[in-house]
Amino acid sequence: MRIQLTVNGLGYERDCAEHRTLLRFLREDLGLMGTKEGCGMGECGACTVIMNGRAVNSCMVLAVEADGATIRTIEGEADGPSLSDIQKAFERNHAVQCGFCTAGMVMSVKELLSEHPKPSADQVKEAIEGNFCRCTGYTQIVEAVLDLTGSPEKKGELEHV
Amino acid sequence: MVYEFRYLAPRTAAELAAVLDGHKDDGKLLAGGTDLIPSIRNGIMKPKVVIDLKKYSGADRLSYGADGLSIGPAVTINDILRSKDARERYPVLCDCAHELASHQIRNRATVAGNVVNASPCSDMAPALLCLGAKAVIRSATGERVVPFSQFFAGVKKTVLAPGEFLSAIVVPAESAGARGRYLKLKRIAGHDLGIVGVLMTRRDGELRFAVSSAAPTPVLVDSVTVKDSADEAARKVLASVSPISDVRGTKEYREHMIGVYARRLFTEVK
Repeated sequence: MRIQLTVNGLGYERDCAEHRTLLRFLREDLGLMGTKEGCGMGECGACTVIMNGRAVNSCMVLAVEADGATIRTIEGEADGPSLSDIQKAFERNHAVQCGFCTAGMVMSVKELLSEHPKPSADQVKEAIEGNFCRCTGYTQIVEAVLDLTGSPEKKGELEHV
Repeated sequence: MVYEFRYLAPRTAAELAAVLDGHKDDGKLLAGGTDLIPSIRNGIMKPKVVIDLKKYSGADRLSYGADGLSIGPAVTINDILRSKDARERYPVLCDCAHELASHQIRNRATVAGNVVNASPCSDMAPALLCLGAKAVIRSATGERVVPFSQFFAGVKKTVLAPGEFLSAIVVPAESAGARGRYLKLKRIAGHDLGIVGVLMTRRDGELRFAVSSAAPTPVLVDSVTVKDSADEAARKVLASVSPISDVRGTKEYREHMIGVYARRLFTEVK
């Protein structure tokens, strides 16, 4: 099926197999390898991209479903060598260790901030509840977001995630 | 994905009904895809044709009118949470929606998909049962309306026949304003399927309980009255369910926690 979509501001038109996931399409057809595949079944969030303004697991979206959609991926964050504000905050707060979850994590945070520019710690935790990180223990990630937004409640204590 | 299938995206509800009618045996409806796509990947389902219902006009309609809240089959869980009508008139619906999976999944998963899958651990079913919601079922030959109290037929089974689809969920206007709370036992926020879930609603002195993950289907219990004690309420709820032991918890643990939740809700939901 012929599909048309916008990824990080660029228009693409491609022939795409109907059983191909958006994740595979982004990685293998468009060569955007920043988005990762973890579990491949919607548990881990490593494949999170923003589709029409909403964070989704791209492993559970067919590329043909995204016909006409606007997609943002991690490749759309940095401007050349200059990191985005979210990326800088992650770097400053040591919110990245192995980095495998980071692309998805940043996308989830980006959707959160588009709706809630000054989130509480709880809102940050809820936004990333679908993103597994096996390195940081999440604390630094929550702190990175609160550091970026200057939210008053600048604590990353996690009771339940 | 593991094998090639065809993808169809009808543009009207009538076209969808016709397409579905032509693929009764080899077709599967795709809504949010949060169950179907992992199932295909894991080899649990092998449809030859995947029929996307999100692309027909009106599929994502969420509107409040004289009949109540009408939820189209493409309305996502987060659409419910963002809806002013749902939040103000049916807080219980939002309470259950909020317990469902993770944020990304709530952005894709639909209310209709959650009930059509008929998982015993459905989080939306308790709300729809307690609020007296109805399923509008459409096919190429017509339409019928089934209350959710008669919608579930067994584990992962509903009364939907091949060729039929859930074209709307209607939550009646008279249930607006029902107060209540959903307690879902799980290990971690954001991911887990419930070990058990108990919802209680109270409206004009009428009490209703609904229990998930405790029987082959989600269960509605409408025999508890305000004159009961908390222990009697818990006994009535427990008498209506038949939990099993599985990988998520034992029968005994489930029974114990259903009792704890029923007593707590009976005491605390005013």
